[in-house]
Amino acid sequence: MISLSGYLTVGALLMALGLWGALARRNVLGILIGIELMFNAATLNFVAFNRFLHPDRLWGEGFALFVIAVAAAEAVVGLALVLAVYRNIKSVMLKDLNLLKG
Amino acid sequence: MTVLTQVVFYMLAVLTLVPAVLAVTVKNVFHAALFLVLSLTGVGGFFALLGADFLFVSQILVYAGGITVLLLFIVFLSGNPKDWAERSLNGAWGVAGLVCAFFISLLTVLFHYLPEAKPLAEALPTTGRLGLLLLRDMLLPFEAVSLLLLSSLAGAIHFSKRKHP
Repeated sequence: MISLSGYLTVGALLMALGLWGALARRNVLGILIGIELMFNAATLNFVAFNRFLHPDRLWGEGFALFVIAVAAAEAVVGLALVLAVYRNIKSVMLKDLNLLKG
Repeated sequence: MTVLTQVVFYMLAVLTLVPAVLAVTVKNVFHAALFLVLSLTGVGGFFALLGADFLFVSQILVYAGGITVLLLFIVFLSGNPKDWAERSLNGAWGVAGLVCAFFISLLTVLFHYLPEAKPLAEALPTTGRLGLLLLRDMLLPFEAVSLLLLSSLAGAIHFSKRKHP
């Protein structure tokens, strides 16, 4: 039987991959993909802790539902911002987002 | 049964982690979004393995269905195809890798202090109990999330509306 630490290891690896993607990509959309991976790692940890430590209650799964809803709101606003930026400067690469440098 | 669970767990781990690696490394953002769909489906499989049936369905519907389709639309609407052939990583990828390796090692140390996991109880259908939880104990956050979704809808319309000069 897989123990709790198996699920937590998968969650930690997923979180580290998402963090690396958010730090190292040059494309705004790539950074958003990394952030989605981090949200999923957190959700997986919530559900695993719920199942293994408190199987009689569902608070972890309820929080995971809220994480999914907040991630959907974040994706909608973030992608609308990417689209607005693209309309103004015709690029989604981070090296072109330097308007505030003066 | 336990052997089957282990086999399914390792297959789901491969299905989740390999597309996640590809999603953060490939140059083409369109391909990265498609790998993201695979990885999110793998996380949904973990939910099913953990007995969270309602979360499994909402993961497939909201994430693999909704958010990634939105992401693919934005990939099509923005960005030049010549960006996809350029270098996809900035100069700090080595430092970022070090940060992530430190993060992983910190977490593996923390795993030793976890409480002993109880043996798994029977997995029951969760949808009805989740509905009672959301509308009884979590009513205030539930309404707050509905307000958040409404405001994000208004914000998305505001940001993506064309400004008439």
